[in-house]
Amino acid sequence: MDNLLEVRNIHTFIGQFHILENVSVNVPRGSITVLLGRNGAGKTTTLKSILGLTPPSEGEIIFDGQEIQGRRSFDIAATGIGFVPEHRAIFRDLSVAENLKIAERKKGDLARKEELIFDLFPDLKRLIKLPGTSLSGGQQQMLAVARALVADNKLLLIDEPSEGLAPVLIEQMMAAIKQLSAESTVLLVEQNFIVASQLAEHYIIIEEGQSVKAGLIADLAEDKETVYHYLGAA
Amino acid sequence: MSTFLKRNRIRLIMLAILAVLFITAAQGMEGSDWVITTLRGLSVGAVIFLVAAGLSLIFGLMDVLNLAHGEMFMIGAYIGWTVYVRPDSFVDMVTPIFLLVAGFVLLPVWNALLDRLKLRQKTAQIWPWLAIILAVFILYVTLVRYPVSIWDHEVYAESPITYALALSQNLLVLPEAPIFEDISPAVALLGTLLGGMVLALGIAGLGHRKQQTVTRTPINTRAIGLAAVLVIIALLFFAINDRLTAQLLATSTTWRFFLAMAVAALSGVVLGTLVEVTAIRPLYDRPMYQIMITLGISFIGLEMVRSIWGRPEFTMPKPELFAGSGEGCPAESIGELLANKCSTVLLFGSRVRTYNEIFVILFGILVLVGIWLLLRYTRIGMIIRAGVQDSEMVEALGINVRQVFTLVFAMGVGLAAMGGVLAAPSMGLSNGMGTNLLLLALIALAIGGLTSFPGAAVGAILVGLMQQFIIKYGQIGINLPFLEEPFKPSPPLVPASVVLLMVIVLLVMPKGLFGRSD
Repeated sequence: MDNLLEVRNIHTFIGQFHILENVSVNVPRGSITVLLGRNGAGKTTTLKSILGLTPPSEGEIIFDGQEIQGRRSFDIAATGIGFVPEHRAIFRDLSVAENLKIAERKKGDLARKEELIFDLFPDLKRLIKLPGTSLSGGQQQMLAVARALVADNKLLLIDEPSEGLAPVLIEQMMAAIKQLSAESTVLLVEQNFIVASQLAEHYIIIEEGQSVKAGLIADLAEDKETVYHYLGAA
Repeated sequence: MSTFLKRNRIRLIMLAILAVLFITAAQGMEGSDWVITTLRGLSVGAVIFLVAAGLSLIFGLMDVLNLAHGEMFMIGAYIGWTVYVRPDSFVDMVTPIFLLVAGFVLLPVWNALLDRLKLRQKTAQIWPWLAIILAVFILYVTLVRYPVSIWDHEVYAESPITYALALSQNLLVLPEAPIFEDISPAVALLGTLLGGMVLALGIAGLGHRKQQTVTRTPINTRAIGLAAVLVIIALLFFAINDRLTAQLLATSTTWRFFLAMAVAALSGVVLGTLVEVTAIRPLYDRPMYQIMITLGISFIGLEMVRSIWGRPEFTMPKPELFAGSGEGCPAESIGELLANKCSTVLLFGSRVRTYNEIFVILFGILVLVGIWLLLRYTRIGMIIRAGVQDSEMVEALGINVRQVFTLVFAMGVGLAAMGGVLAAPSMGLSNGMGTNLLLLALIALAIGGLTSFPGAAVGAILVGLMQQFIIKYGQIGINLPFLEEPFKPSPPLVPASVVLLMVIVLLVMPKGLFGRSD
């Protein structure tokens, strides 16, 4: 299968702590892949290691045919990776419009993507002039995803999009992610197995800093025992 | 609107209290005294602001508390003084300095070349030091033989003080320009260029001591272009040296003053870039070391100024535009002011000094508005505002944050250096001016809320006002209800009062006036 992203046996240290001890992740082109696992298993660190925010000390990361490990984060991102971090990281001192504008890598990126973004998140159009501070949690999440769409990204790394959102917003978010996956490949971190199983096609389970299981999510949904063993609840 | 009031309740109350205090301060003195003291406070505030603005942007964006910022202010003042009073020395020094900088501009190229090289561990450890020693030797041979006509600290008649005095009385006579003696010009020029390159190569090599892999980093052609331009400028200055000096001496001191400011700002930018790239950048993982290294740089800067300019204190005459005192002065209208270039104007019945109390304030406002526009309406400003909050996320968007760091650091140092020139005619030059101002700027930042740009402005103004009002009350005395005699604050109470202001503000608002509460 054609993989857009291949993470091969990476190890990552944060300070003295060996957070990732051999993680491998394959993300097939055009799919939604989800990283599953308990709190503190190393899912977020895996995303950050791909982007070089917590650079891995060993292993290889191949994105779209080129090795990206060891490069600076901005350089990695510029190869076409969008990042939606766990706590959204909306810039407070910037308006909603500026929060989108800052993600431009070429002039006119935003103008080209505006239609797509407002189609996915009609709310943002109304909020465009407000400062980033005045958004609710759900709106911030939308803005964070929208920001990752501004540049031409082939891969989106989305960390916990459903965290802290009301059920109705989670559904809206899921629909949006499903829709945008038509344009780019998505690697998702999701605690909520039900959300994950409805969205993703492939999964990788990370347990104590190691990737222990991978496959099609349809198979996993059948296998209640595995789900219970690794995730604690179905 | 009501949410705005609610959210900023404490801040508004605090500002109101300060405003009331400020107005009550007027009760104890005559109206004209109050106007002058306020203007003086604003003027001091403007100078503090030029230092505090850069300090706050640098601290906000990269969490570096640049303790060398005050010395950069001082170095700016001394460089500006040299351009202004001794343009001949300035022109003489441009050539070697540009040649040296050209070598450092090539740093990205050296780094790219070293990336392609794999050396044995031992060799990689040793050669950078050998290169640096070699460079120092080459520079020792060439650099000191440049014919720079400089003052002689030992002979009072040729000291900076006398030159400044002579300029202020239009009696400036410069010593004859020296020539190359025991070295040929071509050897000196080439040697300096080579020395700078080897020095930069050695410094780049220090960063590659632990390199394991070979990467083919593309060579930065822009750096090569820029270095070539610098070399051409250096040669150009070398060619027209004498004519340029004569030309500079013939221009009015007003234009020379603005040239001095521009040169100081530019030197600050170059100096800031060098400091950031060579000293601060390798230490982003170790913030404590960064603070120590900026402290070290401040000492180096201070000693350099001491050894080059020698005498501890001297003055810088005011530019012509603000120095007139003949007929029609003090001016009573703007037209008269511009026509007679008066040093003082009559404002609300009191004599106000044009340079100290008007120009400095206007310049401060100009810089304030300039930076605000830059932050608000340009892409780089947007990146800075975002980076102050979360530079990691900015990097994750594909923006080279390190480059923005360097730019902001360079800009901040440039501003401080320009501030030094601005302050020199009114405050004079001394070895202590940097440390003094750094302290005031840090207090202004603490009052304003460390990383907030409007906070830096408000803090600087408050510190300036506080300082000047206490000085004024030291002269005229305050009538306090529980004292029979008017209380005259003694000079040591001036700095104490500024710190007291900070303590009060921080007790009520621990994050400062405009600090973020998170």
